[in-house]
Amino acid sequence: MKYHLITLGCQMNIADSERVSSVLEGMGYEKTDNEEDASLLGILACSVRQKPIDKVYNKIAQWNRWKNKRNLITFVSGCLLPADKDKFLKTFDLIFPMSELGQFPDMIREYGVVTPAALKSRQPIMPKNEHIAAMWHIKPKYQSTYEAFVPIQNGCDKFCTFCAVPYTRGREVSRPSSEIIDEIRHLVNQGYKSITLLGQNVNSYGLDKNGEEITFAQLLREIGEYGKTTEEEFWVYFTSPHPQDMNREVIEVIAAYDCLAKQIHLPMQSGDERVLIKMNRRHSMDKYRRIVADIRELIPQATLFTDIIVGFTGEGEAEFMNTVAAYEEFKFNMAYIAMYSPRPGAASFRWEDEVTTDDKKERLRRLSDLLKIYSHEYNELLVGKTMRLLINGTDRKTGFSTGLTEGKIIVRLDHHDDSLRGKIINVKITSAANLSLSGEIV
Amino acid sequence: MMSLMKPDMQMDVSFYKVEEIRHLTDETFSLKLPKARFAFKAGQHISLGIVGGNQSREYSIYSGENDENLELLIKEVDNGYFTPRLRKLKAGSMVEVHGPFGKFGMEPELAASGKFVFIASGTGIAPFRSIVHTYPDIDYRIIHGVRYSKEAYDREEYAGDRYTLCTSRDKGGDYNGRLTGYLKTCKFAPETQFDLCGNSNMIFDALEILKGKGFDRDQIHCEVYF
Repeated sequence: MKYHLITLGCQMNIADSERVSSVLEGMGYEKTDNEEDASLLGILACSVRQKPIDKVYNKIAQWNRWKNKRNLITFVSGCLLPADKDKFLKTFDLIFPMSELGQFPDMIREYGVVTPAALKSRQPIMPKNEHIAAMWHIKPKYQSTYEAFVPIQNGCDKFCTFCAVPYTRGREVSRPSSEIIDEIRHLVNQGYKSITLLGQNVNSYGLDKNGEEITFAQLLREIGEYGKTTEEEFWVYFTSPHPQDMNREVIEVIAAYDCLAKQIHLPMQSGDERVLIKMNRRHSMDKYRRIVADIRELIPQATLFTDIIVGFTGEGEAEFMNTVAAYEEFKFNMAYIAMYSPRPGAASFRWEDEVTTDDKKERLRRLSDLLKIYSHEYNELLVGKTMRLLINGTDRKTGFSTGLTEGKIIVRLDHHDDSLRGKIINVKITSAANLSLSGEIV
Repeated sequence: MMSLMKPDMQMDVSFYKVEEIRHLTDETFSLKLPKARFAFKAGQHISLGIVGGNQSREYSIYSGENDENLELLIKEVDNGYFTPRLRKLKAGSMVEVHGPFGKFGMEPELAASGKFVFIASGTGIAPFRSIVHTYPDIDYRIIHGVRYSKEAYDREEYAGDRYTLCTSRDKGGDYNGRLTGYLKTCKFAPETQFDLCGNSNMIFDALEILKGKGFDRDQIHCEVYF
């Protein structure tokens, strides 16, 4: 019996897919990359944009056509808006929230599929709030041998007006810190080098527990303390934090421990106060500026990444120029810049999408130009330096490999050795480009 | 083809029978629903749908945390799709409620010790009524901007010296003119916390006025309706 799983969207879905694989392979299913070979076909959906949802509709239409010729079970989970859920109920065989992944074998059993696991007793019915905890207990089948994602929090309480995630993932729920630490210990012992703590608002960790769980800063400190006890070199990242819940203590902790990577992804979305209010971001530019000042003061070597949306409702040229000014002030190393598009389910969906596509494209281009300028400027400062590099892939150019610095800057090496993949080595930076570096092994 | 709907797919969804519709003006009405076990924090909002319909809208909760009913304040939108249908609901009609959602609101410890100015345009007063109902001893002022004095929804519930009505289209307000015009004339204690709710233009203008008066941006909290 084979299964094929399509994972759309963010790293949260990738982490979830590792747990889905674990459950299915525990039932005796074997993974296949060829969907035509599979008897169980599934999708972890993403509702952040329309395109991935369109893909779900296309896929299930195709799979349902295949059902005329062979027996198939189809399922969908992940981030789903209520309107899409209603439609998928009629087209997929199984639909469930990730929090009920533990019940997935029982659902498949309902279809009469006999596997060794299907002969075991049923999963006990649990109260609703225990489902997500049960899902986290499932040991993931990691896709990489050196890079792992560790979910620490699920859901979102922020309600940014451009985003539908609170309506798809539900409220913020924090995973027990003891489990997180255990998973990190396990990963480090297995030789993992890059570990990313995941959450829709990762630094809101613990806030839902009203003092009964440690804070995000304390969690990082515990990870840092563990890092000091092991000889293994590893880097711990987190994504995505919300500026509203970011504080100086988090920055101090990152500064204090070697294993906490000196790279911070801090979504800005806009540099204009009014646009931020309209986005319901719940932080001011003053607050954002204070966080960046803390980073520059306490971790001057840290790279700073961000997310920006251009062309949001209410963003005229003057408002956009405030984003340009903010970009010039913060000089981000990397920015994931998106053109705004109204998303069904989000509050802004019913607002007029008043910025033309041409203007959005132009603003995207202008910010992309700034990204290249400031990234290149920073990269130039690294030329001649020796840096630690995690080798993570093969470059498109034959004989070259690639890696990431602790600050997640891409480095191309004129050298290829598969045995180095997943190892952290010393490289000397030899030249800088807009968004990457070149180097040689020392 | 059979589909399995696991119980948690219904997470945060409840179906309610409308108990009462209070018509406050020709355009504005409140929907009273049985509160049942619906727990929320004053200031939060819900997503409301009509059973059998395929659309929903977000509304701030108008009632207090401990009130007998869950109440929503709704203004009918001219030529709108959803609100005219809501207005046609009768007692006994079924609606669908998702939520509660949102972080706009009041922490109990802050409510007991803080000094607040609530600035609202139109139905943006809803979360503030919820807060005042929930924390009757709170130290607050409401500055409510509307077009006509008839839009002073349930003003009799607020002590006279705590509620200021600003009317831009008639002379029936405590202040005849835009809310922002009144705001410019006000003096506030330095430690005041400001909560703003309503349309974005009012919020942007009020924000600038308050910053001009020397208040820190962190003292100003905003919830944009549109």
